Amino acid sequence: MSSYAPPAATETPADPMSVPRLEVAAALLSLLRESTTEPRPDTQLEALTLAVSADLPVLLWGEPGIGKTAALTQLAASLDLPLTTVIASVHEPSDFSGLPVIGDDPAQQGVPMAPPEWAVRLVRAGRGLLFLDELSTAPPAVQAALLRLVLERRIGALRLPPAVRIVAAANPRSSAADGWELSPPLANRFVHLQWTHDHDVVVRGLGGTWPRATLPRLDPSKLPRAVDHARRAVCGLLAARPALVHRLPSGEGRRGGPWPSPRSWEMTLHLLAFATAAGSSREVLSLLVRGAVGDGPGLELLASLDRMDLPDPEALLADPDAALLPERGDLRQAVLDGVVEAVRNRPDKARWDAAWALMARALETGAPDLVVVPATGLAALRREEWDVPESIERLAGAVTLSRRADRATARAALATEGVR
Amino acid sequence: MSAAARTLDRDKLFAARLHAARVRPYLATALFALHTVESRQVPTMAVDRHWRCYVSPSFVDRTPEEELAAVWVHEVSHLLRDHHGRGDRVARERGLHGPGERLRMNIAADFEINDDAYGDGLVRPEGVAQPADAGLPEGQLMEEYLGQFGIGSATQHMAWLDCGSGADGLEREWDLGEDGAHGLTDQERDAVRFRVAQGIRGRPGRTPAGWKRWAEEVFHPPQPWRELLGAAVRSAATGSGAGEDYTYGRPSRRSAGVPGAVLPSLRRRPPRVCVVIDTSASVSDAELGSALLEVAAISRAVGGRRDLVTVVPCDAAAHVAHPLCRAEGIPLVGGGGTDLRTGFAKALRSAPRPDVVVVLTDGQTAWPATRPPCRTVVGLFARQGSYDEDDPDYAPDTPPAWARVVEIG
Repeated sequence: MSSYAPPAATETPADPMSVPRLEVAAALLSLLRESTTEPRPDTQLEALTLAVSADLPVLLWGEPGIGKTAALTQLAASLDLPLTTVIASVHEPSDFSGLPVIGDDPAQQGVPMAPPEWAVRLVRAGRGLLFLDELSTAPPAVQAALLRLVLERRIGALRLPPAVRIVAAANPRSSAADGWELSPPLANRFVHLQWTHDHDVVVRGLGGTWPRATLPRLDPSKLPRAVDHARRAVCGLLAARPALVHRLPSGEGRRGGPWPSPRSWEMTLHLLAFATAAGSSREVLSLLVRGAVGDGPGLELLASLDRMDLPDPEALLADPDAALLPERGDLRQAVLDGVVEAVRNRPDKARWDAAWALMARALETGAPDLVVVPATGLAALRREEWDVPESIERLAGAVTLSRRADRATARAALATEGVR
Repeated sequence: MSAAARTLDRDKLFAARLHAARVRPYLATALFALHTVESRQVPTMAVDRHWRCYVSPSFVDRTPEEELAAVWVHEVSHLLRDHHGRGDRVARERGLHGPGERLRMNIAADFEINDDAYGDGLVRPEGVAQPADAGLPEGQLMEEYLGQFGIGSATQHMAWLDCGSGADGLEREWDLGEDGAHGLTDQERDAVRFRVAQGIRGRPGRTPAGWKRWAEEVFHPPQPWRELLGAAVRSAATGSGAGEDYTYGRPSRRSAGVPGAVLPSLRRRPPRVCVVIDTSASVSDAELGSALLEVAAISRAVGGRRDLVTVVPCDAAAHVAHPLCRAEGIPLVGGGGTDLRTGFAKALRSAPRPDVVVVLTDGQTAWPATRPPCRTVVGLFARQGSYDEDDPDYAPDTPPAWARVVEIG
């Protein structure tokens, strides 16, 4: 019936067809291992690479089994660092704080704390990537010893060289078996990255094609500009919003997560400079900044970066005919508002005329409703002795539009009066 | 047909947007961030997940400005409320596939928006889908509505509805897709949402309740209290002084390798958990039951044996707590007054002393003045704010800073 025979029945060494069973298994395994790679942008891996390059302690939050270790292997290969993985939960505190070794005369010589073998190897190599896995399932005493390793880079009497980079991984609170969590001071020292799996990547990878991320490289020519940009962005925001400098997390829900403090803002400054020098996308920067200072302050920094990228109103006023206005409506209106504000701060006829030319240009190149509010503001700045410029004729469309909207507003107000 | 051949009346469309931005100033950023695309395939107006807005020229032609303004607000609400992302998640979780289910998602999303989007300067467009049409109450979320109606005679007239892939996550043939021009990236979408939420929180005066709730939750969704309570109890029970940790009480197994040195060894000491329950009338039986069951399950999971979990009902008539605890096999210790301070005192007087005290209350009580000598977790039943007829200025004390507080419900 079937050519398949149960293996137990065919165990006859004399059979010429028989190949040792483990060899067949090995052949099957090597077939299974065969896979190719394809280039694919990977924002979370790029963010991790930048944070590790910036020598900031990173904490990966992620459910077990979603490829944190695989990501670390790829990161180590791309940074050309040997990878040392230490599973925290199978160690004892003395493995990290040092094992006491008693010599001949402890009272005279003291008891040295001997480091474990992997640490000695790491120090001897002088460089490497140390991955502390399963941080959250280790008992509290082990975690306490580990945090000293992460923050002070000390293992017993040894000090890890600066070229050793440290990454830790933890399970989210909801799935952590014993509910370990970071206290606010410790959470403040890490860049928190949420590690998630991408459905498409997993399906394609199991099908035999894993992604190969092209990782960011720092451009040496961009370094001074990157530092300047990062300092301007962070200092600009904090000068305007002093409340953001230090804000302890409140509420049970935000416990153990990132929060803003001078320390984490300094980390943000470093991350911003690294992302700028590497030419990273806003998505990567968003992960990093929100991982360092938390969602709210992080989003505010990103929003103020958006505003920093907008064209300078003074430059636009200087040459309105060559002006390039942003395509996105909300940004375009922000630029026009900025122009009106600049004229209000230093009003003179030439600047006022230039601003009208800009309004006309905006009306020709984009949606007309955006121009209405800034144009109204600009008209209110007029002085008695200023003549109305010719370009204002081109704005007639915006005026009609505004009247049209007025009429619609009035009709709607009438119609909804009963509803209210 | 002449209407179909006409070009898009941009002035009318944008006058409507201006009107919308005037009556809903907090949505202006989002409205202006939309990129309009003229399309003859769209029945009316539709959005995609990249914040493009597809507009049918003939729809603009036949619709008055004030109604167009309402449609603008409706479409941008789909995007701000992330209906496509939530639709995808619901589809995965509940296994809802196919165009019919996506239409139901579109309708449910419309219900979520339409119950408080109109009025106050914005007209209600003709034939707009309302929860009442399907006999449903107002003020719920898309996910909640989804389970409560099917495509039938009541919703038949909504079958023409199509707010695009931005409303339900299903790609349409007119979509320009991810690589098309003028789409917003994830980060840009977040930034727009953030600015809108900031605007609402900054001037909450005339904003409808639905938008206020959205602004509160968009970047900080409400936390699942079960998980938080579990984490709080577990972390209190496993902290130093209780649970599993290193101790010098017995020599380590490794001591043989390091003669002469004293190494700590791993020992397990299960925590004693005492649950103080505020059984005053203001806490409903259902609330109490669910929370108490949760605490019992958690404390058993951290190694507390049944004899290590005790319950102190803090009221004479502890009707729920008694049967529940009998069923769960938890020994009950004493009764007590309605003042939580006596409950604390009773819990701490019990011998041996508990390692963790868990308090379940609605917070309308006095708290101990000093920190008790053990870890304290407070499960607080959410209340809208209390009002006392005799004393309008009365405000209950908030739980003290030394307790870990988890809001329940």
